[in-house]
Amino acid sequence: MAQSAEVKVARSKPRLRIAQSPVLRYGLAVLSVSVALGGALLIERLQLRNITLFLFAIAVAAWYGGTRAAVLALLLSWISFDYFFVDPSHTLYVSRSDIPYFILFALFTWLVSWFSSVRRRVEVDLLQAHAKLEIEVSERSSLLNLTHDTIFVRDMSDNIRYWNRGAEELYGWTPEQAIGKRSHEFLRTVFPSPLEGIQAEFLRTGRWEGELKHTKADGTQVIVASRWSLRRDERKQPISVLETNNDITVRKRWEQEIQSLNQELAKRSTELEAINKELEAFAYSVSHDLRAPLRHMASYTELLQKKASSTLDEKCSHYFLMILDSAKRMGNLIDDLLAFSRIGRAETRKTLFSLTQLAREALTEVRDDTEGRNIAWKIGALPDFYGDRSMLRLVLVNLISNAIKFTRTRTQAEIEIGCVDGKTDDLIVFVRDNGVGFDMKYVNKLFGVFQRLHQSDAYEGTGIGLATVQRIIHRHEGKVWAEGVVDSGATFYLSAPKPRGDLRKP
Amino acid sequence: MNKLGRILLVEDDPKDVELTLTALEEYNLANEVIVARDGEEALEYLYSRGKFKTRSNDNPSVMLLDLKLPKVDGLEVLKQIKSEEKFRMIPVVVLTSSNEEKDVVASYRLGVNAYVVKPVDFHEFVNAIKELGVFWAIINEPPPGSARK
Repeated sequence: MAQSAEVKVARSKPRLRIAQSPVLRYGLAVLSVSVALGGALLIERLQLRNITLFLFAIAVAAWYGGTRAAVLALLLSWISFDYFFVDPSHTLYVSRSDIPYFILFALFTWLVSWFSSVRRRVEVDLLQAHAKLEIEVSERSSLLNLTHDTIFVRDMSDNIRYWNRGAEELYGWTPEQAIGKRSHEFLRTVFPSPLEGIQAEFLRTGRWEGELKHTKADGTQVIVASRWSLRRDERKQPISVLETNNDITVRKRWEQEIQSLNQELAKRSTELEAINKELEAFAYSVSHDLRAPLRHMASYTELLQKKASSTLDEKCSHYFLMILDSAKRMGNLIDDLLAFSRIGRAETRKTLFSLTQLAREALTEVRDDTEGRNIAWKIGALPDFYGDRSMLRLVLVNLISNAIKFTRTRTQAEIEIGCVDGKTDDLIVFVRDNGVGFDMKYVNKLFGVFQRLHQSDAYEGTGIGLATVQRIIHRHEGKVWAEGVVDSGATFYLSAPKPRGDLRKP
Repeated sequence: MNKLGRILLVEDDPKDVELTLTALEEYNLANEVIVARDGEEALEYLYSRGKFKTRSNDNPSVMLLDLKLPKVDGLEVLKQIKSEEKFRMIPVVVLTSSNEEKDVVASYRLGVNAYVVKPVDFHEFVNAIKELGVFWAIINEPPPGSARK
């Protein structure tokens, strides 16, 4: 910085500059020597008198006292010289032959005064520039100290020249300890690639960014995001490097943690995929291999029953009936279990559809079960739903046929399908009946696989329907729950995220 | 009732073979059933190879095909039949325990004519066989060159 300030001063005072043209420069040398020679010859001719001390006095006066002091010194020199050394002595008489001495005094005075005035001006300029520079530097370093970034400056031999407060805070070394040290050794820098390459790129582009590892005063390592900028002088020669470092140790640790978590996750999902595949193979095998022997048992039993029917008594016929009933029930269980497992495996194909329309379809599907029944249906306005239509249809069919089943004992069954107008982001749909209900203390058993709250001879079923409902709704990021009172009916609720605005039909 | 022509039953499980034959007999639907016990045998029959070297030239009027078979499985058999000019017209009914969607989809993609899941209930099974028989014997016009008596 000092260098550039000097350059600035030199520029604004052209008289201090050396003559540009070589003719002038060397001419000046020849001229000054010629003048000196001429002077010397003149002095010899004039029989030199001792004037050196007076000239010295004038020079001192001019140098330290300024032009006016020089003029006074000149006058005094004239008078004293004339009075004491010029014949006739002790008079102020001046003969013609003495005049050149007085002219010499005057010329010398003018020359020294001119020199000293120029010097003084330069001196003042320099002082001012220096003061300005000091202010600037202190302002800048205090600004650099304000930032939390770690900033230091190193010269081209890697010696640290400046060290801000951020650097002190991060590395634990004071500026006094750090300045003058070779930065890469001092901080035990670990570079991401060989330093030569970095240096080459840096000198070419003037910038470099990368991650470095530094060792702090307490011996611990920090990872910093480092930015280097190169400063060049007027002649484009690199002079120093400004290095700004940000501590990213914590961030790096997080990144590493996230990375390892991601790897773990990828591993898990691969495992899960494998398990899913196995499960699929298992389900397929259940579907095919488990049903076959069951079918054989049932078929041969039926054939046997047919052949022996004439010789069978009532009890034996009953036994056959029970065997066949059990086989059929197991067939249904396998089918339902497979359907349940398929819902877990199947991809959801989501579209926006009307629940009102879907409820109507579900009602058509269960029409057979309502034969001979007296049911008052109450179907409210249902919203649009964003999800897998065929899965949701299964949900409604399950809930509605449950409601039909458990209102069987009512002379007037009431079944309501409606929607709770919640202010939340979820839509809530319910199916309510006035059937036999259930005891709330068993509510958590309702949605489990094979869980039944009624004896199987009272209400048929495999115990998978509500588990299927729950699984489907869970796959739609929703919830299912139920409220019931023994002998006073039950309400089954499902909630799911409302369709987003952009999915709505135009 | 018209009789269904020659049936090629491809089924590895002897019990299923017996039950299917019993069901067919029940309604007197077929008087000639060829049983192939795996996919390879089924192909041998069609191509008149191996133990079926001396079979008569006409094709079966319907083929009842199980999917899970030893050696060459049902879907592979189906694929070969449907890609062979001289067998393409043979009606193929997949008769299987599996009601897995992927099997159904794969079978139809390969050009199966019907897909029947064997019901657990024998009564229903007999009904299914009967309906199959009625359809293929009475309603469906078999391709030329099929054995129909």
